[in-house]
Amino acid sequence: MAAKTEIVFRGNGVSPGVVLGQALKIDSHNRLILRVHVDDVEAEAQRYLRAVENSKEQLRTLKYRLEEKVGREHSVILDAHLLMLEDRSFNSEVLSSIRNDSANAEWAVTRATDRLVVAYKSLDDEYFRERHSDIEYVAERILLNLSGDHPLSWDYLSQDLIIASHDFNPSNFATMDLTKVRGLVLESGGRNSHTAIISRGLRLPAVMGLQDFLESVATGDSLLLDGDAGLVIVNPSPGRIDAVRGRLDAFSAISESSSSAHGGRTTMTKDGAPVSLRANTELLHELETAKSCGAEGIGLFRSEFLYFGHPRGLPSMEEQLAAYGRLASEMSPYKVAIRTLDAGSEKISHMSTRDSFEGEDNPSMGLRGIRLSLHAQATFRTQIEAVLRASVEGTIEIVLPMVSTVEEVWQAKAIIQEEGAKLKRAGLQLPPVPLGVMIEVPAAVLSLETLAREVDFLCVGTNDLIQYMLAVDRGNPHVAYLYQPLHPSVLQCLHRVAAVAAKLEKPVRICGEISSNPFFAVLLLGMGFNQLSMNPLSIPTIRRVLREVPLDLSKRIARRALKLPTAYEVHRYITASIAELISWDLTSFANEIAAPNGLSRT
Amino acid sequence: MIRQSLLVVNNLGLHARAAAKLVRLASSFASEIYLSREDASQQIDSKSILGVLMLAAKKGTRLVVSVEGHDEAEAVEAIRRLFESRFGEEM
Repeated sequence: MAAKTEIVFRGNGVSPGVVLGQALKIDSHNRLILRVHVDDVEAEAQRYLRAVENSKEQLRTLKYRLEEKVGREHSVILDAHLLMLEDRSFNSEVLSSIRNDSANAEWAVTRATDRLVVAYKSLDDEYFRERHSDIEYVAERILLNLSGDHPLSWDYLSQDLIIASHDFNPSNFATMDLTKVRGLVLESGGRNSHTAIISRGLRLPAVMGLQDFLESVATGDSLLLDGDAGLVIVNPSPGRIDAVRGRLDAFSAISESSSSAHGGRTTMTKDGAPVSLRANTELLHELETAKSCGAEGIGLFRSEFLYFGHPRGLPSMEEQLAAYGRLASEMSPYKVAIRTLDAGSEKISHMSTRDSFEGEDNPSMGLRGIRLSLHAQATFRTQIEAVLRASVEGTIEIVLPMVSTVEEVWQAKAIIQEEGAKLKRAGLQLPPVPLGVMIEVPAAVLSLETLAREVDFLCVGTNDLIQYMLAVDRGNPHVAYLYQPLHPSVLQCLHRVAAVAAKLEKPVRICGEISSNPFFAVLLLGMGFNQLSMNPLSIPTIRRVLREVPLDLSKRIARRALKLPTAYEVHRYITASIAELISWDLTSFANEIAAPNGLSRT
Repeated sequence: MIRQSLLVVNNLGLHARAAAKLVRLASSFASEIYLSREDASQQIDSKSILGVLMLAAKKGTRLVVSVEGHDEAEAVEAIRRLFESRFGEEM
């Protein structure tokens, strides 16, 4: 076979490093459509036909419902969609690509669809041209049914992938097996995009702003990515690779040493003070990300995501046990903090409360968190039983959300003790499970001494605390400017929490997205917080920042920030003083916590 | 094999509903039934809705149907009647 032509692309190198790998293209929906070699083509063909049958079944139901609601006249387009699912030329094209090319069904469907969409888009008549959206809709449904059937696994993929896409949402990192991703190439984006910042944090070489790149590259093509020079070379010649061999080897040596540092997972300040960085998670598949980002445990597992959209309303004890057990065993020996159900009753269907009640006018101040759990005790007891049973799988902690009085802690403790006693009587040997409370209501900050004596540790829920402290609903555009994480009152609250926790010798951890901001993280460190829990993807960035900051200097910065009268002045001061310590550009993070200057003194 | 010329006389042309009717009718015959625009050579399978819509046949478009099989006579007749009845479209 003749060597493929080398093509050189020039863009912006936004994350340094040189890597060689195979392109993996992501489609416009940011979804990976991967070409996988299938061994059992007959089984794959059957999988495709099953997905088509399921799609038809769903469309027939939809059509029936639509006809009941609006009459037969309007269901005609669904009729056309059903016929597309039965279309023999489409089906035979997909099946022949599965059977003859050993392609996976997803790939075969996407390829056949792309071909049709291109043909339809070239039609002159607007009505017929628009039918490409019907084809896309039907293909989307087949893909959906394929993914429910057998999610495409990263296991099949090679170890040296370079992601190629038009744009890329940072949340996409969460669904990837980062141990297999070596680099990132985007047609859009720039140095200060969040994706660029996360790439630098992950030490993932990246080049962005490459025009018309995707047209010239296919999944599986060899790519040489030079994040220092902003170059991407498709099908690099052996000579080209030899020329950068030294840099390639040097970079891979650095990557290996830093990933072994991930393995140790320790974070230290510049002067050697240890800081523990943990992950906030809500879905089990985020565990892989948490581990690959070097999280020292799960600082907050938002258990309500097991309840949201649950087909039977509430997850059973067994389902919860399986989830919590997996969390605990996969993160072992690190700790996993499970926050009990933190949702308003409006979010959970089938919630059995003692009395049925109408919708609440103000759910954020209503029956939610521990309030709802104590109101619907059967549901709470089921969750506690599952958590206690799962505790044998690793190290589990319980955190109670939305606590505003010590009585709530007493009642919850009584229930936890009763459930523990039941399990003990049933012959189970369970380790002690530490109990903590979320400090997210101003009342909890003011009666912190009382609360802290009742529990083993404290978690500060900064998202809610800021909102309740400042009486600002951040979703309300009229007052959103008052949602100021750097508001002096918020800082005083956090300072008090750190001081009380230190006095009573209770571990305390910040569990809010604010700790993923490098400036805020340094401020928190200076206030005395040495456990931060955040979105796992932010951990490498924060680890890198904290390594460049001496603890005593962060303390001086925090002391001074606490004396400033407005969020604006705090912002100006900390961004300037902290940016000086860090060797890389943090501008986009400074903007993230910016406070308006509209209220300055006259 | 039978070939016959057909004129699209209904206002909306071979849009989704008309195409669906044609595909269902064609699929009820054993014969192979192909359609092409009179002004183009490419033939499409009239049992495939994706093919029929690709004809982009508006009112006034002339099509040619080619049918081959043991029920070809009935098939051509039924398809001709469907075109003439304006696919059930109201005037």
